[in-house]
Amino acid sequence: MIERKLIQLAQGGDFNAFNTLIAGHKDKVYRLALKLTGNREDAEDIVQETFLKAIDNIDKFRMESSFGTWLYTIALNNVRAHAGKGKRMPLKPIEEYLPSGHSSDVDELFEWGDPHQVFENKQLQEIIEKALADMPIKYSTPFVLRYMEEMSVNEVAEMLKLSLPATKSRILRARLALREKLEDVFRERVHE
Amino acid sequence: MSKCDKQIQQICDYVDGELDGALCAELEAHLKECRNCRLMVDSLKQTVVLCREGKPEPLPKELEAKLSDALRRRWEKKFGGKKT
Ligand SMILES: [Zn+2]
Repeated sequence: MIERKLIQLAQGGDFNAFNTLIAGHKDKVYRLALKLTGNREDAEDIVQETFLKAIDNIDKFRMESSFGTWLYTIALNNVRAHAGKGKRMPLKPIEEYLPSGHSSDVDELFEWGDPHQVFENKQLQEIIEKALADMPIKYSTPFVLRYMEEMSVNEVAEMLKLSLPATKSRILRARLALREKLEDVFRERVHE
Repeated sequence: MSKCDKQIQQICDYVDGELDGALCAELEAHLKECRNCRLMVDSLKQTVVLCREGKPEPLPKELEAKLSDALRRRWEKKFGGKKT
């Protein structure tokens, strides 16, 4: 396989092989970092740190996973290190996202209709970007991997070294939190 | 109004098409009667659709150049004079 060959060459010191290997991954790592941090500066740092670490550790890469998975794992460690600095809102337990939950003063969910009728695409993306960036990364990471990077729940669990139920539960909480955030914004706009 | 604790766990699987037959039928029966759960299904679906609509941003060009330099320097440090 070509990837294997390139990795062997890179491990032997071939910089061109390394560049070919990472070419298709730079945008992906940047995109992932941007979604999880919501901040271009942090995302740029994370990209740089990720590929520098990939060089430092290239000889330790054992072909047990794909090169892309390996890079993502390094990138996520860097995201974690960066996210430690910021303050993020903790998420509620699943039951509390339900209407008429104890801590909720909302009894009825709001009918969304088509949000595109009320918001421009750009506004919608900004709301999502901010909501994801405000969330603890232990929730936003599996959500982003699952629905924005289109990985299966199994792949997400494996990458994050979590059990399947834990992965599912974090994805669900992120999704509920994001849904609620969007609903708050839509409700507010309609009642303006 | 009753809380739909059990349903909420299933709704996420349901919207992803991953809920097993019997549970799926049970949930669908509940959805017919429960407006909140219907709205929950609809809005959870839309949440993911909206997330997928964002245009991916490519790596900024200036960073690309800065990154290449940094990587080359690190590579030379690691592999020394080996030819590339
Ligand atoms: Zn219900």
